[in-house]
Amino acid sequence: MYYLLTYRSLTYAQRSARILERAGVTGTVSRLPKAASPKGCAYCVVVAARHLDRAMDILRRAGFSPMRVITRRDDGTLEVPDDLS
Amino acid sequence: MIYLDSAATSLQKPAAVRYAVLDAMAELSSPGRGGYETAMNAAETVLDCRLALADLFCMREPERVVFTSSATHALNIAIGSLAGPGDRVVISGYEHNAVWRPLHALRADIRVAASPLFDQDAAVEAFRRLLPGAKAAVCCHVSNVFGYILPVERIAALCREQGVPLIVDASQSAGCVGLDFDRLGCAFAAMPGHKGLLGPQGTGVLLCRDENVQPLLFGGTGSESESPDMPPYLPDRLEPGTHNVPGIAGLLAGVRWVAGRTPHELLHHERGLMELFSRLLEASPRIRQFRARDSGTQAGVLSVSIGGVDCEEAAARLGAEGVAVRAGLHCAPLAHRTAGTLETGTVRFSFSPFNTADEIRSAAAKVLALAG
Repeated sequence: MYYLLTYRSLTYAQRSARILERAGVTGTVSRLPKAASPKGCAYCVVVAARHLDRAMDILRRAGFSPMRVITRRDDGTLEVPDDLS
Repeated sequence: MIYLDSAATSLQKPAAVRYAVLDAMAELSSPGRGGYETAMNAAETVLDCRLALADLFCMREPERVVFTSSATHALNIAIGSLAGPGDRVVISGYEHNAVWRPLHALRADIRVAASPLFDQDAAVEAFRRLLPGAKAAVCCHVSNVFGYILPVERIAALCREQGVPLIVDASQSAGCVGLDFDRLGCAFAAMPGHKGLLGPQGTGVLLCRDENVQPLLFGGTGSESESPDMPPYLPDRLEPGTHNVPGIAGLLAGVRWVAGRTPHELLHHERGLMELFSRLLEASPRIRQFRARDSGTQAGVLSVSIGGVDCEEAAARLGAEGVAVRAGLHCAPLAHRTAGTLETGTVRFSFSPFNTADEIRSAAAKVLALAG
């Protein structure tokens, strides 16, 4: 299972991924699935489930908390917060 | 050729700039348009350039580093974000047409804070007199004609006191005179990528204090695509259309080269060449130099007039002898009006990190021969 951390722009997503990288956590910038992107075309940072808590803590301390956290299950389905569905 | 026209554009650039442009053309596509490798690598290069510029200009938020096609483009965005028809806008007496013409086109109420050349106290007083009631102010950091370093820190402090947003035109200073954007507290700073930052032509930068900006162009950004409006956040709000990725990659190489040497060191070199050139030209009483008494107020640019020789004729003859300079009004009639050279223009010599003392001696000998 993976988590998709959404940001308002590609630039913010990139900076967040670099913050994670410097802290030793792998976060990959990726296109956000259309179903999770109500305004169309956006980017997110993908982190493995086992890294989520640490990633969120690192990002919060750096002032880069994501706008949303979306769950992507192993079968590819998404768990999108209610306000986005 | 001895190239002494770096105030127009840098011709000699670090080799890394050329290689970066070529590599980008071969290997990078477009940021924000896909999730595949070449698109994401392009996005990383663009972010690297934002970070390098934010670092060089002491900005905490690299998202507010916006890429444009030129300083003129950047200035048009800044001016359009702050001023409209009838608004009073105070500008220095040394502004380029990239400031004057957009304000004129907007039908702004333009007030020129004219002050004598190289007199920083007078420049501050001129702004102090005109700022009350102004909607915005614009001041170049360095005059493109005379190399005059204007006291932008003091003018920015005045603007902050009076609540007037300031646009700094850093076209001639970026890369060779330090600029601490966050400490300055100005609304915008605009600059080209191809002058002191040593990047390719077709690159420009706008530094923004906040996101209260008005786009000049509208279009696709690869974000919030279902909305008819431009995204409200930077840099997307001001960067529609495909990025000039080869240009930005080259600019990144240029900025890294400049940062490695520091603007302070580069200014020292260029000013030293200017002073050497000036000393050599003193041999001719027919050459009038526009020099600051205090070299601390002049960057690596020297304008002169040569008695009895039209400035364009002088530049043409120097060009024929392998010395590249610019003559005329340098797209800055306000600066010439303020300095009293509007009728004659000047011949401008501008120095780069790559010029040498031998080149300066050779060029000076040709100018002295021309003056007779």
